[in-house]
Amino acid sequence: MKSLTSTICTVLLIVFTSPGFAGPQQDAVVNYYKELAKREFSASRGEAFFRAKQTGGKPATPSCTTCHTSSPMNTGKTRVNKPIAPMALSKTPDRFSDLKKVEKWFGRNCRSVLGRECTALEKGDFLTFMISQ
Amino acid sequence: MSDIPFNSDVERTKSSPRGVRVWDLPVRIFHWGLVLAVTITLVTGFLAPEWRLDIHVWAGYAIALLVTFRLLWGLYGSRHARFASFVYSPKKTIEHIKGVLRGKSAHYSGHNPAGAVMVFALLVVLATLTVSGIIILGGQENLGPAAGFIPFSTGVETVSIHRLVAYGLLFLIAAHVIGMLVESHISRENLARAMITGRKQDAASQPIIMPNATINSRALVIVVIVGLTGGGAYAIMSATPASGIVKFSPDDTYASECGDCHYAYNPSLLPRNSWQGIMAGLDDHFGEDASLDSETANSILAYLNKYSSEAWDSEAANNLRIVSVKNPLSITATAYWRRRHGEIDKKVFEQSNIGSKGNCVACHRDADSGRFDDAAIFIPAPPVPPKT
Ligand code: HEC
Ligand code: HEC
Ligand code: HEC
Repeated sequence: MKSLTSTICTVLLIVFTSPGFAGPQQDAVVNYYKELAKREFSASRGEAFFRAKQTGGKPATPSCTTCHTSSPMNTGKTRVNKPIAPMALSKTPDRFSDLKKVEKWFGRNCRSVLGRECTALEKGDFLTFMISQ
Repeated sequence: MSDIPFNSDVERTKSSPRGVRVWDLPVRIFHWGLVLAVTITLVTGFLAPEWRLDIHVWAGYAIALLVTFRLLWGLYGSRHARFASFVYSPKKTIEHIKGVLRGKSAHYSGHNPAGAVMVFALLVVLATLTVSGIIILGGQENLGPAAGFIPFSTGVETVSIHRLVAYGLLFLIAAHVIGMLVESHISRENLARAMITGRKQDAASQPIIMPNATINSRALVIVVIVGLTGGGAYAIMSATPASGIVKFSPDDTYASECGDCHYAYNPSLLPRNSWQGIMAGLDDHFGEDASLDSETANSILAYLNKYSSEAWDSEAANNLRIVSVKNPLSITATAYWRRRHGEIDKKVFEQSNIGSKGNCVACHRDADSGRFDDAAIFIPAPPVPPKT
C-alpha cells in the first residue's frame, strides 16, 4: 500500500513538473539542450525571445513571429504564404519530436532572423515556451 | 453529268412549289456542321487564350471527321454530292467566271464550276489544317495521336504553317460567301437557302438521285475499312507515351526538404545550371537560410540533375530553360513565365488558396507530372470570407 502511494506520488510529480503535454520524444530533445546549456529553462524568457525584433539577420525576417505569427496557437505562413502548422505543442502534437528536424530549423531560422546560431539556452527556452502552450 | 451509273432507286422529285430537291441530307448536315466546327476553331484559334485549346482541338477533330465523311460521300453519295459530278475543265471554269463577271450565269443543278473549285480548295485547306494541327498538338503540347512521335521543335515550327493556312481559310470563306451571294443574285436562286432546304427553285434543276443498293453496300464496306484503320491507327498512336514527358518517381527527400517553405517545384522547370546554383547557395536562398546537411543536399542535387529541363521535351521545359539573365535561379523571373501569367491580377496570387506565384500546383493540377497541360489549368475561386 505504501509503495502504491509513493508510485502515484512519483507519477504525479513527473506529470506536473514536466512542461505542457510533452511526451518522451520532446523530453529527449529538451534534455539534449539542457546538457549543453547546463541551466534551467524558462518559458517566459522563451516567449520574450520568440517575440523579440532582431536586427542581425536578413531584412525579410526580423522576428520569429514573421512566419510563426504573434501567437503560437495560430497557423503561420512562410514568405511565400505556404501555411505552417502552429508551433504550440497542444495544437500540433508532433512538434519538436525529432532532434534532427529541430536542429535543422533552428539552424535556418536563427541564421535568417538573428544572423547567427542560437545558443542552447535560447533554443531550450523557446522549446519550453512552445511546449507549455 | 448524267452519265454516273445510277440505275435503280431513282428518287424523282416532282417539280413542286417547294422546288427540286438537289442536296441530300448528309451533304446539308455536313455543310452546316462544318460551318459550326470551322467557326469554333477560328474563334478559339485567333481570339481565345491558348488555354482554351481543348475546345479548339475538339472542333478540329470534328472537322477531320466531317472531311473524311465528305471524301467518302464524294465517291458514294447522291448525284450532286459526287466529285465526278462537279469536276469541270479549266476552260469551262474560266468561261463560267467570265460569265458571272458579265452578270450572266449558266444554270447548274449542283455545284457550278466556281463553287466546285471552292469545294476542293476548302477540302484541301481543311485537311492541311487538321494534319498540321495534330503535329502541333503532338509536338508542342505532347498530346493527341502524334505526341509520341513529334519533337517539340517540329511542333513549334509547324505553327507558322498552320497559321498561314488558317489565313488562307479565312480568305476562302470570304470568297465563298461573296461568290454565293453574287451567284444567288444573278441566278435569282437563294443558294444559302438551298443548302438548308436541299431544294432549288429553278425547275430546270435535275433532281437528286440517291445511290442504289449495290453502291450503298460497297460504300458500307469502305466506311468500315476506313473507320477501322483510322480508329486503330489513332488508338495505337495515342497509346504511345508522349515523347517529351519523362516518367519519373518523385523523390521523397526532395519533396519534404524542398517542400516545407513552398511547393516543391517539378525538376523540369529549371536547367541543370540553375539547380546547381540553387543547391550551392542554400544559406542565402532568395533572402532566407535554407541550409541542408551536405549528404541530403547531394542526394537532392543528383535527383535534380537527372530530371532537370535538359531531360525533357515538354512545352514548360523548353520555354522555361531560357532563364532570366539577372535572376537565373528563378522560374517566375523567366520572360516566358512572366508573359504567360502577365494577365493574372496580383491579388489572385495572394488569394489564401493560392498564396504566391510560385505555388504552381494551385492552378496547374498536373504540375507534379511536369506536363502543365492547358486543360489542367484551373484558377481557384477566391475563398468566401467567413461570416462574422
Ligand atoms: C521565414 C519564415 C520563418 C521564420 C522567420 C521562423 N521560422 Fe521557424 N519554421 C519555419 C518553417 C517553414 C518551419 C517548418 C514548418 C513545419 O515544420 O511545419 C519552421 C520550423 C521551426 C521549428 C521546428 C519545429 C518542429 O516541429 O520541429 C523550430 C524549432 C522553429 N521553426 C523555430 C523558429 C525560431 C526560434 C524562429 C525565430 C528565431 C523562427 N522559427 C523563425 C519558418 C520560419
Ligand atoms: C526556408 C524556406 C525554404 C526552403 C527550405 C526552400 N526554399 Fe526555395 N524559396 C524560398 C523562398 C522564400 C523563395 C522566394 C520566393 C519568392 O520570392 O517568391 C524561394 C524560391 C525558390 C525558387 C524560385 C521560385 C520562383 O519563384 O521562381 C526555387 C527554384 C527554389 N526556391 C528551390 C528550392 C529548392 C530546390 C529547395 C530545396 C533544396 C528549396 N527551394 C527549399 C524558401 C525556401
Ligand atoms: C494563379 C494561378 C497560376 C499559378 C499560381 C501559376 N500559373 Fe501557370 N498559368 C496560369 C494560367 C491561367 C495560364 C494560361 C495563361 C494563358 O495562356 O493565357 C498559365 C500558363 C502556364 C504555362 C503555359 C502552359 C501551356 O501549356 O501553354 C506554363 C508552362 C506555366 N503556366 C507554368 C507555371 C509554373 C511553373 C508556375 C509556378 C512557378 C505557375 N505556372 C503558376 C495560372 C497559374
